[in-house]
Amino acid sequence: MSGSEKTNEPDTVDRQLAMVIDLNKCLGCQTCTVACKKLWNRDAGTDYAYWNNVETQPGKGYPALWPETGGRSGAGEVKRGEVPDLDSGYGRAWDFNHRAAFESAAKPAGEKAWLQPNEEAHWGANWDEDRGAGHYPEDNHYFYLPRLCNHCTHPACLNACPRHAIYKDKRNGIVLVDQDSCHGYRFCVEACPYKKVYFDPMRQVTTKCLFCLPRIEEGVPMACARQCPGRLRFVGYRDDPEGPIWKLVEKWKVALPLHPEYGLAPNVFYLPPLSPPKLDAAGRPTAEPRIPMYHLESLFGETVGAALETLRSERRKRRRGEPSELMDILIAYDWHKSFALSSEHEVSR
Amino acid sequence: MRKTFDLIAAPAGTEPGDYVPRVYAARNLPATSSATLEVQHGDAGWRVSLGWHCPDPVRDASGNTNLFVDAAALLAPTVADAQWITMGAPDKAVEGALWRADREELLRIRAEGLGTVKRQQPPNHWKAHSDWSEARWSVTFELASWPALDDHNQLAFAIWRGAAADRGGLKAIVPQWIAVEP
Ligand code: SF4
Ligand code: SF4
Repeated sequence: MSGSEKTNEPDTVDRQLAMVIDLNKCLGCQTCTVACKKLWNRDAGTDYAYWNNVETQPGKGYPALWPETGGRSGAGEVKRGEVPDLDSGYGRAWDFNHRAAFESAAKPAGEKAWLQPNEEAHWGANWDEDRGAGHYPEDNHYFYLPRLCNHCTHPACLNACPRHAIYKDKRNGIVLVDQDSCHGYRFCVEACPYKKVYFDPMRQVTTKCLFCLPRIEEGVPMACARQCPGRLRFVGYRDDPEGPIWKLVEKWKVALPLHPEYGLAPNVFYLPPLSPPKLDAAGRPTAEPRIPMYHLESLFGETVGAALETLRSERRKRRRGEPSELMDILIAYDWHKSFALSSEHEVSR
Repeated sequence: MRKTFDLIAAPAGTEPGDYVPRVYAARNLPATSSATLEVQHGDAGWRVSLGWHCPDPVRDASGNTNLFVDAAALLAPTVADAQWITMGAPDKAVEGALWRADREELLRIRAEGLGTVKRQQPPNHWKAHSDWSEARWSVTFELASWPALDDHNQLAFAIWRGAAADRGGLKAIVPQWIAVEP
């Protein structure tokens, strides 16, 4: 990148850029996924790769069952992980019968070629969308989990690379791959428990989310955050007490890292989803939320209950007509305020 | 000369970083246990052939994310006391040729220590021929001029078996420099 300053010592960064994602507002529209994909990953070797994906929880995720390998041990050591494959892990980018479907558009229904993959499809990035878990009407539930590289404070990918090809940009803590140094060994792919380093098998190098560094350098937020119609992504620096990140993570303590137990100290945080109550056998609401607490705790750790309680209590305040800084931030009346990138840059684009 | 060498697994413990040395510490058997080396030196320069057993060749890794190609490298010291097992050291480089089963052309490689290999375009006169038959790779390197080998007459080689996920420092190697006839 134009002015990136490399450091292989993650603790020496000057500042850390971060993102907060409010899961209570995610529509699952995949606008973020498409915005990212169109910008960065259109080549043959990255056709399967989604630096940003939105998966349905509970679900297998992308790549399938991603949270099962890698991460750090209690002692901070990076654990052995696996490299997912295209067939059972990521899912291949299918070829579609676009021409046949287009050419038959004017034909009667029985003779139309409907748009479909040319080969039989078994698995893909969003295969289990909206399936979720539970039983209708008692406790069926699901929510959307947008995922991207966490630009971790202690990145496993960086530690795993024997060539020091992965580094942090000292100015903002963004984790980057120097593709000139990368020899495609994929130890980083193995070690990242979030599976957010991708291998480009055509170019034989790894690629990953760069937090849209060229946009950040211009004071413009990442494509996924800027394009989100739900206005649910917040971007800024961890140490800016006036910015949304510090307020949501440090002050209100409602934004939590995904899988804190991996020990990587992620810099993407999530507001956990509230959910309506479960119903009892007679169809009456119970005191239990539909999304089981054990599932949320397995994703966001044991402080998730306290974060949900803060959200509920601030919502109640707002309903009573009382002021709530937290609700004002989350409602995002003025989207400019969701992004606090740099005092020199007015975020207007 | 023509000789068969027993190979060892390159020691993962000395690889850079804190991942490979620890998680691959138990990988102490080479995925390729022996290889035959034939070295000829004449007017056409160096002609070096390597042959090894490989029941499951990987010639192309572009079709999936978890494939690794077969490969082999020849290396020579650029100064008399450059160490082979460490891939040289700062100012004590090793250099040579890398053959990958997915490319026709060789790559020139140079390293000054583990994890520092740089790949470059080779001189025009460096060529390779490879053949896989009866579960065996035969690769011949034709290097019309290779000053490092001319000067030091020492050679070493490494073999990566893709099917065993060999890559980088996970490789089968000869334990030490091999003296070759000038
Ligand atoms: S999420 Fe994975 S790829 Fe991103 S910085 Fe952390 S370890 Fe590296
Ligand atoms: S664009 Fe926003 S609302 Fe749509 S899926 Fe992405 S994060 Fe959710």
